[in-house]
Amino acid sequence: MQAVRRDPVLAGTIAIVIVSLLLFIVWPIYAVLKESFISQQGLFTLDYYREAFRQSENVRVLVNTLWIGLFVSLFSTAIGFLFAYADAYLKIRFKSIFNILAILPIISPPFALSMSFIMLFGQRGFITYHLLGIKDANVYGFAGLAAVQILTFFPIAYLVLAGLLRQIDPSYEEAAQNMGASRWRIFRTVTLPLVVPGIANSFLLVFIQTVADFGNAMVIGGNYTTLAAKIYLQAMGNYDVKGGTALATILLSISVIMFVMQKYWVGEKSYVTVTGKPSRERQLISDGKVVWPVGLACFFISAFILLLYILIPYGSVVNLWGIDFTPTLKHYEYVFSLGLKPIIDTTYLSLLSMPITGILSMIIAFLIVRKKFFGRSMVEFTSMLSMAVPGTVIGMGYILAYNGPPLVLTGTATIIVFSFIFRNMPVGIRAGVASLRQIDPAIEEAAQDLGASSYKVFTSVTIPLIKSAFFSGLVYSFVRSMTAVSAVIFLVSASYNLLTVAIMGQVDVGRIGVAAAYSTILIIIVLAVTGALKLILGRMGIAVADM
Amino acid sequence: MSSKNVLLKNVVKIYKGQGKKDVVAVNNVSLEIKAGEFVTLLGPSGCGKTTLLRIIAGFETPTGGEVYIGGENVTQITPDRRDTAMVFQSYALFPHLTVYENVAYGLRVKKQSESRIRQSVAEMLELVGLTGMESRYPNQLSGGQQQRVALARSIVMRPSVLLFDEPLSNLDAKLRVHMRGEIRRLQRQVGITGIYVTHDQAEAMSMSDRIIVMNNGVVEQSGTPQEIYLTPASEFVADFIGMANLVDAVVAEAGEGQGIIDLLGAKFRISSRGDLRSGEKVRVVIRPEAVALAGDGGIPAVVETSVYMGSSQDYRVRIDGQTISVVAYNPDESFREGDRVYLRIDERKLHVVRK
Ligand SMILES: Nc1ncnc2c1ncn2[C@@H]1O[C@H](COP(=O)(O)OP(=O)(O)O)[C@@H](O)[C@H]1O
Ligand SMILES: [Mg+2]
Repeated sequence: MQAVRRDPVLAGTIAIVIVSLLLFIVWPIYAVLKESFISQQGLFTLDYYREAFRQSENVRVLVNTLWIGLFVSLFSTAIGFLFAYADAYLKIRFKSIFNILAILPIISPPFALSMSFIMLFGQRGFITYHLLGIKDANVYGFAGLAAVQILTFFPIAYLVLAGLLRQIDPSYEEAAQNMGASRWRIFRTVTLPLVVPGIANSFLLVFIQTVADFGNAMVIGGNYTTLAAKIYLQAMGNYDVKGGTALATILLSISVIMFVMQKYWVGEKSYVTVTGKPSRERQLISDGKVVWPVGLACFFISAFILLLYILIPYGSVVNLWGIDFTPTLKHYEYVFSLGLKPIIDTTYLSLLSMPITGILSMIIAFLIVRKKFFGRSMVEFTSMLSMAVPGTVIGMGYILAYNGPPLVLTGTATIIVFSFIFRNMPVGIRAGVASLRQIDPAIEEAAQDLGASSYKVFTSVTIPLIKSAFFSGLVYSFVRSMTAVSAVIFLVSASYNLLTVAIMGQVDVGRIGVAAAYSTILIIIVLAVTGALKLILGRMGIAVADM
Repeated sequence: MSSKNVLLKNVVKIYKGQGKKDVVAVNNVSLEIKAGEFVTLLGPSGCGKTTLLRIIAGFETPTGGEVYIGGENVTQITPDRRDTAMVFQSYALFPHLTVYENVAYGLRVKKQSESRIRQSVAEMLELVGLTGMESRYPNQLSGGQQQRVALARSIVMRPSVLLFDEPLSNLDAKLRVHMRGEIRRLQRQVGITGIYVTHDQAEAMSMSDRIIVMNNGVVEQSGTPQEIYLTPASEFVADFIGMANLVDAVVAEAGEGQGIIDLLGAKFRISSRGDLRSGEKVRVVIRPEAVALAGDGGIPAVVETSVYMGSSQDYRVRIDGQTISVVAYNPDESFREGDRVYLRIDERKLHVVRK
């Protein structure tokens, strides 16, 4: 298909997409690499790396990062599998909670559970101080961070594995049963091997998230410093930008290696999808010996997580957490006395970037699936890569790249909007690609054949056919913008501050009540806007998939 | 209506294989399809028919050569600006639009007035027998009705050339036969040049003014159904179209445009398009219905299998290590397996192909 050359609109669109990917994904990453390898005199040097590793502290930070990544990914995958198995195989009544558990981490600030943990297990923690009477409980450090990250990230593993388990054709297991295999033996010899690629996949996905996790590391990491937090502290705290970029490059390498493994090595190896859709529904297991232990475990974990999230609105309406639980609205009064600017700015910038993200991701999905052109695989790789690049790295890249000509964006709202767009695009692209692959390309060819230009084909046929993915992408990108912190913390300024950053500031100075009030407001805005969007779209007859 | 001719000059299409070998899907094809003609591209799966059709429609740019429609070189023109309309194998109806909107789609793109659109669509739906179905969605239609919508949607554009890519392959056998006639009727009625891709020889034989037989990306033969059947240009064509026995023979006497050949131990006088040379080895196409079996007088053979088919009795008979298929319509007598029989071959129906 050399059609691109003959079609100026299409060629122009491709050019714009490639240029914007280069400008807002590749260039910032390049800026980080360059800064870390080029000395003040403009010569190539490894000094900043040598310097970074001469400090034994930084070596420890690297080890910390890898160790917690491994630990959290293992446990998250295990718990995720437990939930997925319960969901796909067991007769349990409270499954609908699972979806809520998967959505909660997305619609709340990324460090929400750290705040709840501090409220429960901190120095003035409800459990540690109030119930157990421990005077100097310390929740900060490895244990606290790992626990919070596991509870935040296991839903990723759950979603991947549940999707996979639901696709397994029950007849495999029935065949094994027919040959006299016991339930445990079937699980071990049939079910488990079928989902091994999925397990590897969720392990890597969680690993990427964990090592990139900035919010929790800052809030509850304490002395257990990880790379994501250290980069920020080094660059913004110690004003050692060069040292920060060296660390950022190391973190980036870890993430990219994991991403490439996930995408090109594990991603290709699915036995389950080869066989396509299962022929019929699975007979759910109701045997008490299986249902009870698994069900109870899931139940307690779910209840605990729900409790943690409920603590946030609750914490926002008590006088002084841990000491005085009398109801009050004073934290809200305080928030409003500080001004509504961060709230309005965050909502406004998130709304502004939403349609741009949505349309751009559908265009890119369309180009990836339907068009052959020079640079197509680069477009696909780069646009998905931005999902794996840790926010701290991209945030740093943005301030380095747009600090001087040709593009001076530091301190503007524009830079924040761009970071929202290019960080949230991959989800929309993935949804768009998946739904385009289901659609016969001949339908779009027919439209073109009837005289529609490529622009007209896209707007009158492609978009209506993938509108569900399009609007899901819109909703999701809004939510992600509202809750983003790791990249934008580098980009906020006196004129544009964002909610998540304000919340972190309040936690930092110990005003948990105020932080909780801000977080509650954020969650309410997210729920209100997505609810309104779903309602309007529902009226128009468009179903928006849950995130 | 202005139907136009289609001219292909040395068209080549090579698909670059990623890592694998390149595929030459169309190999130097030149042909002309006259205005108003209905032509089928016939050949086995993978021979390049679809690719050639898509080159004419503009979905693929040829690696080499040119495409002319109505005398205009359209090689570098995108499908939306070509005066062709295609009926897809999968119909490719717009699932989010009603029947009416599907048929109106192209007219809307052309920015025709609403009243004209209404009239054209109504006429068109009447023509394909779908009046009353306007507000249904494609998934509320049977396969045959979807097929008609696809036809209507293309024909309503009044294109100069209509293209069909195996449009009947998703229908059941009975409907398929019925739709052959329908498509031909519509094409005649509106007088558009038609190019029809199929791998089904019965479809090609029953519909075409002319059949173009393709194999491995090249045109093997182009001719009327009769020409293709009676005087196949190659062994491939003879074998692909209908049943054929291909038997070795030697030219005993050569004449101008005719000669005598030695076939299965007997002599036959045949006509030939090219000149024959004495002593030359040739292949002879013997259609199963060109042979009659008799109890005596002819070339001796033994019946290997004998199958009753209702309207005919099908035999396979054995002569010196060769097996030949014979079909007897309205046979006076039937033979059983193991019977000794005699073949009588109608020499007017023999056809020589070069090796
Ligand atoms: N988009 C493509 N990329 C690579 N090879 C292709 C493509 N389309 C067709 N081919 C190859 O070109 C040859 C001809 O295909 P096609 O024109 O579809 O044949 P037909 O329609 O006669 O079955 C086949 O070998 C096929 O595998
Ligand atoms: Mg084909």
